[in-house]
Amino acid sequence: MTAAGWKSGKPLANATIGSSGLVSHFTNERVAGKLLSMGVLPGTLVRMIRKAPFGGTCYIKADNILLALRKDEACSIVLR
Amino acid sequence: MHPNPPFRIAVIGNPNCGKTSIFNLLTGLQQRVGNFPGVTVDRKSGFLSHHAGFRVEVVDLPGAYSLYPTSKDERLVVQTIVNPQDPDYPDAVLYVADITRLEKHLLLFTQVKDAGFPMILALNMADTAAEEGLEIDTSALSQKLECPVLLVSGRSGLGIDALRLAILAQAQHHPANAPDGSAFFRFSPEEARIAAELQTGFASLNHYQRILLTHHAEWLPHLSSMQRERIFQLRERTGFRELPLQVRETMQRFDRFTPLVHQSIRNTREKVNSLTEKLDDLLTHQIFGPFFFFLLMALLFQSIFSWATYPMDWIEGGIGQLSHWIKSTLPAGWFNDLLSDGVLAGLAGVLVFVPQIALLFFLISILEEVGYMARAVFMFDRVMQVFGLNGRSVVALISGGACAIPAIMSTRTIANWKERLITILVTPFISCSARIPVYTVLIAFVVPEKTVLGIFQLQGLAFLGLYLLGILAALGAALIFRFLLKSSDSSFLMLELPPYRLPLFRNVWMTVWGKIKAFTLEAGKIILLISIALWALSSYGPAEKMKKASAEAAQIATEQNLSAQDAQTIEASLRMEASYAGHAGRLMEPLIRPLGFDWKIGIALITSFAAREVFVGTMATLYSISDADDALRVREGMARERNPRTGKKVYDTPTSWALLVFYVFAMQCMSTLAVVRRETLSWKWPVIQFLFMTGLAYLSAWAIQLAF
Repeated sequence: MTAAGWKSGKPLANATIGSSGLVSHFTNERVAGKLLSMGVLPGTLVRMIRKAPFGGTCYIKADNILLALRKDEACSIVLR
Repeated sequence: MHPNPPFRIAVIGNPNCGKTSIFNLLTGLQQRVGNFPGVTVDRKSGFLSHHAGFRVEVVDLPGAYSLYPTSKDERLVVQTIVNPQDPDYPDAVLYVADITRLEKHLLLFTQVKDAGFPMILALNMADTAAEEGLEIDTSALSQKLECPVLLVSGRSGLGIDALRLAILAQAQHHPANAPDGSAFFRFSPEEARIAAELQTGFASLNHYQRILLTHHAEWLPHLSSMQRERIFQLRERTGFRELPLQVRETMQRFDRFTPLVHQSIRNTREKVNSLTEKLDDLLTHQIFGPFFFFLLMALLFQSIFSWATYPMDWIEGGIGQLSHWIKSTLPAGWFNDLLSDGVLAGLAGVLVFVPQIALLFFLISILEEVGYMARAVFMFDRVMQVFGLNGRSVVALISGGACAIPAIMSTRTIANWKERLITILVTPFISCSARIPVYTVLIAFVVPEKTVLGIFQLQGLAFLGLYLLGILAALGAALIFRFLLKSSDSSFLMLELPPYRLPLFRNVWMTVWGKIKAFTLEAGKIILLISIALWALSSYGPAEKMKKASAEAAQIATEQNLSAQDAQTIEASLRMEASYAGHAGRLMEPLIRPLGFDWKIGIALITSFAAREVFVGTMATLYSISDADDALRVREGMARERNPRTGKKVYDTPTSWALLVFYVFAMQCMSTLAVVRRETLSWKWPVIQFLFMTGLAYLSAWAIQLAF
């Protein structure tokens, strides 16, 4: 969980719209703490639904909840 | 009164779990809305309704995802439940969870339970769950979670009576707090050691509460600096690393309770969440989304801007008549004047804002209830971030175009304090409806009534320009504050977009009512005081000068053979010149001379601090015009005015522009300052706001004089 750069996988922020994947790990502990509290865990299925009109903000679906994440927040979620 | 302190039950749950609906149903109209001590987060409390003999206080704590908070609201939950001396420290906890999201919502439940509180678990949205094909075995869940579990609906009221009985049963048994262990996670060696060491000094807390204390020692307000230092040293000695331990704890909890949820809830139908997602395809669409948002905002703006004027006119008319009645019925004298011109005028100044506040919060809380507000935040967060603002600031800035007061009150939903403060500070730059009369009177001095390019009214364009100037000032100031203000909170978005739901009007009315009460009772006091002071300033002066003014007026009246009304108008004008406000106007003349303003404008600047539109009324009095509603005559009176020193017209082009720009920027509204004081809990921010807004106004007006 801790700043592990050695694992491969791509950040959620780079996922194309409509694509989905399982969460592998997080690269930012602070963001991780909050995401875990909201129920986004390693192994959770996440899907990139759309990006905000003015760029940056992501609209994602994690299990059955819908979330808005800033780009840097979405960057710290690494998909398997 | 009651001999025993009430049994206190705190309502805790995740955001969007429907906690407030349940709270409203339990307490009915017997609730009080205030602040939690030291912060401007709404604290709602009330007593359990429909029962006799036993007093149960219900306190609604802010929504939170876990006991590892990331916002001020969430922190309140932690600081309440780890401090037995806290006035809101509960005897038991009513935990509300959305049954359709139970596998997410139980995290906080297990944490609060480990903090030792007797729990009641209310599974909300039971009606929706049935529609969605969820089958719940509450007795199995109750057995596993070791607390009563009830199915309820904040929408239909289902199960609320049973919930009330369960709470009363808790209150009668007064169950002891649970033991120290946790059924949901195993303490790490460091945690176990810390929990044992903190036995001394924190004996009244259980083990998990002591662990929470250790995690949050930096900011928990009730810790003394010695206690804090001791915990810091303990952390160092034991190698206690907060974030990894938090992650470890959270993962273990999910691992333990997720199977429990799966065992007791069966989903008989395939999950379809499609309505919300289909709506969002449109409502958060790249192009259509913002378009729809601005359409909604236009409606919102229109309603406070124009619909509110009807009840506002009734209020002003009603109070005007009352004041007239008092004037003619009570014996003349200072008390009569104080009552009719001071107190009633102040009261009008408070009540006149009520329709705007009611309408704005009616619409905003519908948008909030429906779930739309989160979408607006999603769409505008990026743009607003540039200016140090929040997605929600858009709503405040747009509402500010009607009136800054409800706009500033609406910023409570911005969780990040810095973003909220900046929104509060810059919103009054947006031209509000009270500036229109001032613009109308002054614009005619500088812009001819002409049509350009066939369709555009030149004066209309100037109007538009003034509005744009206000918007630019707001965004520019926000940008400056973004770099000036320090913030300890890290800024997150990570916002849950709740499923769209029909609004519950019970909740909407409660919000509107709470906001009106808060404004009239809290900000109202300050507004009333200032307006009495302003009244005293403009109707009293050094005795002999006032006497001389009256005598002079009587003389003019006899010489020119004026009617009684005209004589009165002249007397009012001369008395205002002789009053303390008049003196202050003359006293400040050297200060405002560089802007081209004379002492009469000085008087108007002082009196229109009550509200900007008072400018026109004061000008009418000063130029002896009996009917202040007649903007044309006020303008004529002003147009004739010449500077006795230079013989030039006072309202020449540069001065009129200077005055216009002054009114775009200056903080000429005591009611706004009173509301800022209420929303920031100190005089520091309204004073800073007054200084930078009026300072900018002064400098810009000066620059205009220099440029011409």
